[in-house]
Amino acid sequence: MKFTQRELGKGVRLHLCETDKFKSLTCKVFIRQDLEAKDATSAALLPLLLRRGSQKFPSTLHIARELENLYAAEFGADILKIGEQQILELYLQMVDPSLVPQGEKLLDRGLRAFWEIFTEPQGPGDRFLDAYFEQEKNTLEQDLKGLVNDKPFYALARFVALMCAQEPFGIYKSGDLGNLKHLENKEVYEHYETLMGEHPTDIFCVGPNLEDVASLFASLIPKRAHTIELREPKKVQVNEERFFEETMDLNQAIVVMGYRTNCSYRDNDYYALLVGNGILGGFAHSKLFMNVREKASLAYSVGSHIEGSKGLLTITAGITDDQQEKALAIIGDQVTACQAGQISPDELEQTKRGLISAMISLGDSPAGIIDRNLIGVVEGEMRTIDQVVEAIRRVEHDDCVRVMERIQLDTTYLLRPGNTENTRDEEGEHHGEN
Amino acid sequence: MEKTNTPTGETLYRKDLPNGLTCFILPKPQFLRTYGVLSTHYGSLDSRFRVPGGEVRNVPSGIAHFLEHKLFEEEDGNVFGRFATWGASVNAFTSYTQTSYLFSTTENWQECLALLMDFVNSPYLTRDNVEKEKGIIIQELQMYADHPSHRIHTLLLENLYHEHPVRLDIGGTVDSVEEITVDDLHRCYNTFYQPGNMALAVVGDVDPIKTLQLIEENYPDWEQEKGVIERFFPEEPHEVKGSWVEEQLPISQPRYLLGFKHEPIWQGEDLLRQQIIMAIGMRLIAGRSSLSYGELYEADLITDSFGASFNAEPGFSYSVIGSETRDPDALHAQLTKIIDRLKTSKVSSSDVERLQRQLYGAHLASFESFEYTANRLISHYFRGTPYNNYLDLLQSVTPEEVQKALAEQLDWDRSTISILRPVKTND
Repeated sequence: MKFTQRELGKGVRLHLCETDKFKSLTCKVFIRQDLEAKDATSAALLPLLLRRGSQKFPSTLHIARELENLYAAEFGADILKIGEQQILELYLQMVDPSLVPQGEKLLDRGLRAFWEIFTEPQGPGDRFLDAYFEQEKNTLEQDLKGLVNDKPFYALARFVALMCAQEPFGIYKSGDLGNLKHLENKEVYEHYETLMGEHPTDIFCVGPNLEDVASLFASLIPKRAHTIELREPKKVQVNEERFFEETMDLNQAIVVMGYRTNCSYRDNDYYALLVGNGILGGFAHSKLFMNVREKASLAYSVGSHIEGSKGLLTITAGITDDQQEKALAIIGDQVTACQAGQISPDELEQTKRGLISAMISLGDSPAGIIDRNLIGVVEGEMRTIDQVVEAIRRVEHDDCVRVMERIQLDTTYLLRPGNTENTRDEEGEHHGEN
Repeated sequence: MEKTNTPTGETLYRKDLPNGLTCFILPKPQFLRTYGVLSTHYGSLDSRFRVPGGEVRNVPSGIAHFLEHKLFEEEDGNVFGRFATWGASVNAFTSYTQTSYLFSTTENWQECLALLMDFVNSPYLTRDNVEKEKGIIIQELQMYADHPSHRIHTLLLENLYHEHPVRLDIGGTVDSVEEITVDDLHRCYNTFYQPGNMALAVVGDVDPIKTLQLIEENYPDWEQEKGVIERFFPEEPHEVKGSWVEEQLPISQPRYLLGFKHEPIWQGEDLLRQQIIMAIGMRLIAGRSSLSYGELYEADLITDSFGASFNAEPGFSYSVIGSETRDPDALHAQLTKIIDRLKTSKVSSSDVERLQRQLYGAHLASFESFEYTANRLISHYFRGTPYNNYLDLLQSVTPEEVQKALAEQLDWDRSTISILRPVKTND
């Protein structure tokens, strides 16, 4: 499942993976910018605004009916965050036209509709339709306030905002309410035009007959002369461990612990870090799962996760409130065990195999084939599935120990049952509570 | 071995083994992963039953889910490590009507399949390990209790149904879980895990004949209960239990859910047809292409979470429509008008044709997912709905049928409303 690349202008790359393995065509467009609070909020409005209507399909209803006529085609837009970059994603998925009645003209019709909807928004030309703009500002406001509805997700978002309050990484992927309040239609539209016209853009396509797709994209996308350069993520040293606690009307406590890994995607030890994290909390055979859940019965959900661009290892667990000290101690012991080299040959082998299997499995889904490249795009170094599998295969016991010794606990965050406090950072200013 | 073609041009194999187990194999050339799932036709609803020659048994709710947790355990640990040795992942889930154990792997799929059949057939239940599991399950119940969409659905079902166990959480309650004993678990296991009550599906780049051979050679012998299981459900009154319920949770804005209780009269092909008809009907009420979606969104009464679904099994049937909303009362008033309008005006044939195209494409696209495809083969088999007729049935649905179903099924006298409101805080 390899991609071939071609340039469609400065900073615009087309990545093609021609295959008849799937019964569908999938295209994803990724447009990147540096993570900054105001721009992040402004960009987060775009997925909401662009689904409201275009010149040709003036409302959500018109878009939805076109998608139904295209045999359940899916068009969408989303906001992602990798390291200290924010990414506007535009995607298209269509069933293979040869499988449906009278499908011959479906591909051309679908691609043209997709591009029209995302590049010709409904409005007078210098801004979005005012009514849509106000409604979608309201929608984003509700979405940001609604973070609180999913408790584990909310805990993680609060934790990141607190731990990285002084770094761009502390900004939520969709920005904040304070910036949202002051955004004007025209400036968001200007930002949208800059993003579409001047920011680094990568288009990935997976499916059959991609030559047709490529020439259509080439004809639709204006050639550009320059592209904005993005910056590197901020490196941070841990000075002292920090602890934050908040309460909410909950049944279960949620703990999040954040470690600076001092090792990221372009580091030689990056794949050892992925294996080390897998041993610690990436699988059902991992130390955290076996000890916190299976042996101590303290949690139903517990695990750990790597953010590979910024260099963070995050542990999360949902626990009984009165058992938090015990849980924190057992979690800490598992990290120490990894650092002390208490990694059995079975643990190492099972984890490597698990990571390799997960990596190979990505080749079975168009979205998996595409999305796994995003970190490589952000970091300026794309790697194939085969390269990654080989790198994981080479990781040995001592590599894991060495890289786990480099990780340092920065922040522990606890969301506990109690009275709901007004803990939200309503104005989007960064607290410096440490 | 029975062969059928899928609408995406693949071949599905099915065989019923002499021990009663039904097997499905769907070869997927070029794919690297193999997915296997072994399911029992036993879910949270089955708490009163009888086997041939036995007595009627009543057991606490939550046992199907409890067993799902416990079967991973072995005398010297659990099976996670053994699957991990092959780079495989293993998991399980429980629904109202079935419990499923599954693996996914890119290597050693034969060993994984053999181990799947082995561990599901080797319960290791002790007083200690059963007591210990209660802590984990109660954490799981509490995690769901903090989840607003789960909570509002639970409230709705508690008000739609007086007696039917669909009103209870799949995992049971903290009290019922505390009550469960090793004997209860064994009794349910011995009844419902007999091969005649189970099905197995394998999806991946596999040879169907060799795969079946592997299953036949490795499926463990069954010495426990055999024969047709009788399942008993309490008499459920026609009316809903309550018409309105509200609760406070720490959420950002209110949530509204409207439910309609239906008579579970459909079986087999009729049930599948009804599911298609109602899928179209629900899209006319809450789809992005519906007039009502635009109206309600412009009025700021719904968010993206607005949706509607029809849920049916042979023993129960209901529809739900709901959204997050700034004003549940205003949404209810508007939605009432919209539903009444749809019930009395003519459903247009162009709307139905367009939605048929959408469902047609979605059906083809669904075969891309191994998990969805395998699980669906099994659930339709247990339910007795002929899924390979889906596209034919879809294309034969008429606007009149959709019209009639909406008018008959959305009966206000059998409806109930659940609302969640944000907790009032001091600041």
